[in-house]
Amino acid sequence: MTMTRLELVCPAGTPATLRAAVQAGADAVYCGFRDETNARNFPGLNFSRDELAEGVRFAHDHGSKVLVAINTFARVDDVDIWKKAADAAAESGADAIIAADFAVLDHVAKNHSQIRLHLSVQAAAATPEAIGFYAAQFGIRRVVLPRVLSLQEIAALNRAIDVETEAFVFGGLCVMIEGRCYLSSYATGKSPNLNGVCSPPQMVSYDEEPGGTTARLSGFTIDRYERGQPVGYPTLCKGKFKADGRTSHLFEDPVSLNAGGMIAGLKAAGVTALKIEGRQRGKGYVSEVVRAFRKAVDAVEKGGEPLDIGRLLAGQSEGARQTAGAYEKKWR
Amino acid sequence: MRPPNAEPMLPGLFRQLFPAVAGLPLGPLLTLSLRSLARRRPGLFERLGESRSACFGIDPVDLAFAFRVVPEGQRSSVRVVSKDEAARSDVQIKGPLLTLLGLLDGTLDGDAMFFSRVISISGRTEAVLALRNTIEDAELRPADLLGLHGILARCVDTGVLGALSIARRLADKNPSGAREA
Repeated sequence: MTMTRLELVCPAGTPATLRAAVQAGADAVYCGFRDETNARNFPGLNFSRDELAEGVRFAHDHGSKVLVAINTFARVDDVDIWKKAADAAAESGADAIIAADFAVLDHVAKNHSQIRLHLSVQAAAATPEAIGFYAAQFGIRRVVLPRVLSLQEIAALNRAIDVETEAFVFGGLCVMIEGRCYLSSYATGKSPNLNGVCSPPQMVSYDEEPGGTTARLSGFTIDRYERGQPVGYPTLCKGKFKADGRTSHLFEDPVSLNAGGMIAGLKAAGVTALKIEGRQRGKGYVSEVVRAFRKAVDAVEKGGEPLDIGRLLAGQSEGARQTAGAYEKKWR
Repeated sequence: MRPPNAEPMLPGLFRQLFPAVAGLPLGPLLTLSLRSLARRRPGLFERLGESRSACFGIDPVDLAFAFRVVPEGQRSSVRVVSKDEAARSDVQIKGPLLTLLGLLDGTLDGDAMFFSRVISISGRTEAVLALRNTIEDAELRPADLLGLHGILARCVDTGVLGALSIARRLADKNPSGAREA
């Protein structure tokens, strides 16, 4: 069990957001290049090579680390795109590369041994055997845990492995086992695993119709909203569908993960780092969430009373609803 | 009480004071300003990617006119157009003027304004997203658009942002304006 200080790992979709996260108290910031090598390949988001180098300088000057996500899966005829991204991340002076693909992990392990390798959640490694394999083969130093494990399972896992673990604590919740979801591929031909984009915006439309607004993805109706009702992004797994004569959120309710009340439990379970999701979110969101978690983590580290972080961040959650997800598992 | 998704609107009098013809000089001025910004900060426009050549129809619902903007770096253009012409753009963004300005200077969050329906968008969603992310990263101040530096820039920023803040507070106290939407 680790007794080191918990590390707060925060998202940055743009250089301005990186600076905001660092100034709000992030111990580490994760980001990606402006291409398909990372799982948030949205228009206008991410970093050029120069912007990353500048971001690393800024973060290091303020005592924070930068972790570069190169965590999509390479294509057989284009592996060089992923290898070059890893080379650029290493040259920028970043502190770690977050990867899932064997080709990327192998390339970094063989050519950039000075940089830490973190196993992306996209690898969906959740057993001591799987994590041990990645550690033995590629020397990974940390694994980002899939969001399907309970606190007890995380504690058991940490007792059985000798690499660090990083657990998501806030943000969008992916109900699928990461790296193995085909819903977006089915509907749009593009997936987070290969193209770095789930429910791509070029296939999204909001159509004003007599009864209100219809949100569609690649022509499929994902949800309908009455006039004046708040709308959402049409992510397929969070859509409302009719089955057996009943209309409901068939796959997943549009709720956000908030494990802010479990920081002490995660620390006790041996977790090294807490991760906030949301590279696609703006500076305001990142600043507010990072600041709240900074206070909560510091309170836990000082042995004080846990903060009511759910109340603090209720307005920042998707659908204004929160869940502790699998950490307090009541289902399987 | 204002409905939850109503943002402050300019009073109706303002619309009468600024008919469509009053907006015409804004086109060339904003075109020059955008091109000058592209010369000083080319990286800002690169972030738009393929959406640089998209035509954005910006429709402040409390003004009598709208804008058509093509943010193509040093070939950028801004034209003052009718509401109907703005609606024929690749992307249409509609909302109260003070809200649209708040998005530009970073005072307001674009996602929150869209999801709560204070602003509405239609057309090419990927272009809207690219624009939103570009503006988020740009951290534009009024002086950036005017190409000012130093003390003058700081004075202009303080003045313009202060004036906008006062305008928002005044509009917020003007529920009749909100009902005109």
